[in-house]
Amino acid sequence: MPSAEPRSTPGVRWPVRHLPGRPGPAPRRAAALAATLGLLLAAPALAGCGGMLDDLFPSGADHRPVVEAGSEGPAVGQVAPDFTLSDTLGNPVSLYATLQAAPGAVLYFNMWCDVCLGHLAEMSQTVVPTYPDVPVLAIDYVMGSVAASRATQLAYGWDSPDFQFLVDPDGRWMEFYTAPMAVVVVGADHVIRLNGEYDWARVEAALAALPRPGSAP
Amino acid sequence: MDLRASERRTALAAAAALALAALLSPTPAEAASCCGGGGGGAAVLPKNAAALLDLAADWERYDGAWDQGGAWIPDPPGVELAQYRLSLSGGVRLGSDWQLGASLPYVWNSNLYPGRQVHSDGIGDSSLSLWWEASDERTAWRLATAADWLPSVKLGLALTLPTGISPYDDVSDSLLITGRGFYRGDLNLMVDKAYRAWSASLSAGYGVHLERQVNRYYGRYVEPYTRKAGNRANVSGSLGYRHFIGTGGNSLAFTAALAWLSEADGTIDGAADATSGMRKTSLTGTLTWAGTDEDWSARLSWNHSIQRDGWGEGFPTTDIFTLGVRRAFR
Repeated sequence: MPSAEPRSTPGVRWPVRHLPGRPGPAPRRAAALAATLGLLLAAPALAGCGGMLDDLFPSGADHRPVVEAGSEGPAVGQVAPDFTLSDTLGNPVSLYATLQAAPGAVLYFNMWCDVCLGHLAEMSQTVVPTYPDVPVLAIDYVMGSVAASRATQLAYGWDSPDFQFLVDPDGRWMEFYTAPMAVVVVGADHVIRLNGEYDWARVEAALAALPRPGSAP
Repeated sequence: MDLRASERRTALAAAAALALAALLSPTPAEAASCCGGGGGGAAVLPKNAAALLDLAADWERYDGAWDQGGAWIPDPPGVELAQYRLSLSGGVRLGSDWQLGASLPYVWNSNLYPGRQVHSDGIGDSSLSLWWEASDERTAWRLATAADWLPSVKLGLALTLPTGISPYDDVSDSLLITGRGFYRGDLNLMVDKAYRAWSASLSAGYGVHLERQVNRYYGRYVEPYTRKAGNRANVSGSLGYRHFIGTGGNSLAFTAALAWLSEADGTIDGAADATSGMRKTSLTGTLTWAGTDEDWSARLSWNHSIQRDGWGEGFPTTDIFTLGVRRAFR
């Protein structure tokens, strides 16, 4: 039991110790204030030095470069080059061969993170039932081998016929499209319709606009 | 006035503040080297301090995730993900009941997948805070009257600045990012009460991310759209016990905290993005050493996400180890 209970008087501040020979509170407080203000100013300054001001001052200006029709590249309107990747069972899968039998294809660059799993789950409930004629190629760009990717696929319970799980062992195609955890929609004419952040609304718009037999050109 | 009693009372009030610091320091929701970014901690001044500086080093080790359905899944074999943060925080008293704080983290990402190894670093998202000490606890020594039970109450506003590297910056890989890319305003409440060697605290907050324009995604210009991260709510509670070491007044405090965090779905062009919401529950244990006059303190903490189904959704599970040093100025 404490022998002396301090009296509590509302409104009375506790005594501030100020020993002789020690700097008083004002200089220290000023120094701490300067440090705090320094932090406030340092953050945007450092961000600016790194060329990362897009977040501090976001822009809605459309800076997409004009692409030449028929040119090969990763941008919307350009032609997607063919690739052949192994699926997680070791079978080769070609983009162009896939597109021969479909109005288009969805490429999803997958790194098995929680966000990616969320995207895959939503696509299994949206893209797959709504557009069963459009194959979804889930391209693993981090596990590095068919065996490791297959083990992860099974461990995560994604042994689903809804998707074709492919392996991009050195991440080359993810880098080509600069599409980490992102989605690319390619039409049967090999022209890219969408490349960007996963968003079902935009994926659906791109898929709905794909030319199909009997649809108006 | 009995100086020793006064000092002990000050010490107990500081203990409560340290408990709050323990609650706030390992920011349990920001970090994710694959897809989240790093945020700093908070600097809250004890009542007897005019200013403080805090330096904290975090090691966040990733180990699995909760999927969107709340099932916990381990990381694939061969995957080692970690984020290291060094956060400098400062706080200064503006008046008897007002204080201003700022925190600036620097972030190092280490992402080792069997097929991809990426190390990166950069400034993280920084934060500013303004606290109003609405009421002070009257005594930490007796619980005889109703007034003795009254805790100290602080209300705060915080602003997170997107100073980190986000997917909307000129960066080519999700493994390089150190921030989320959104401004966020938070309204926070802190309640704490000390009684002799014990202290308890409760912290709650509600944050609103501001909608932003996006015209670039991972470095490539895209058709412009608007993006907003979901509003977030958090509640944390802690209980601490403080043991005085010897007769000199140095003390060692142990604080256990339980934190719950939820973030609603974000939006893209105003439409809900059903893949973006998250929920996380975590435990934190903190050991804090404080000097006699409380001017110096050091802490070691461990924040652990509960790796079980139903304790989170759509977020990585991690362990965050923090070593922090704090200097308070009177």
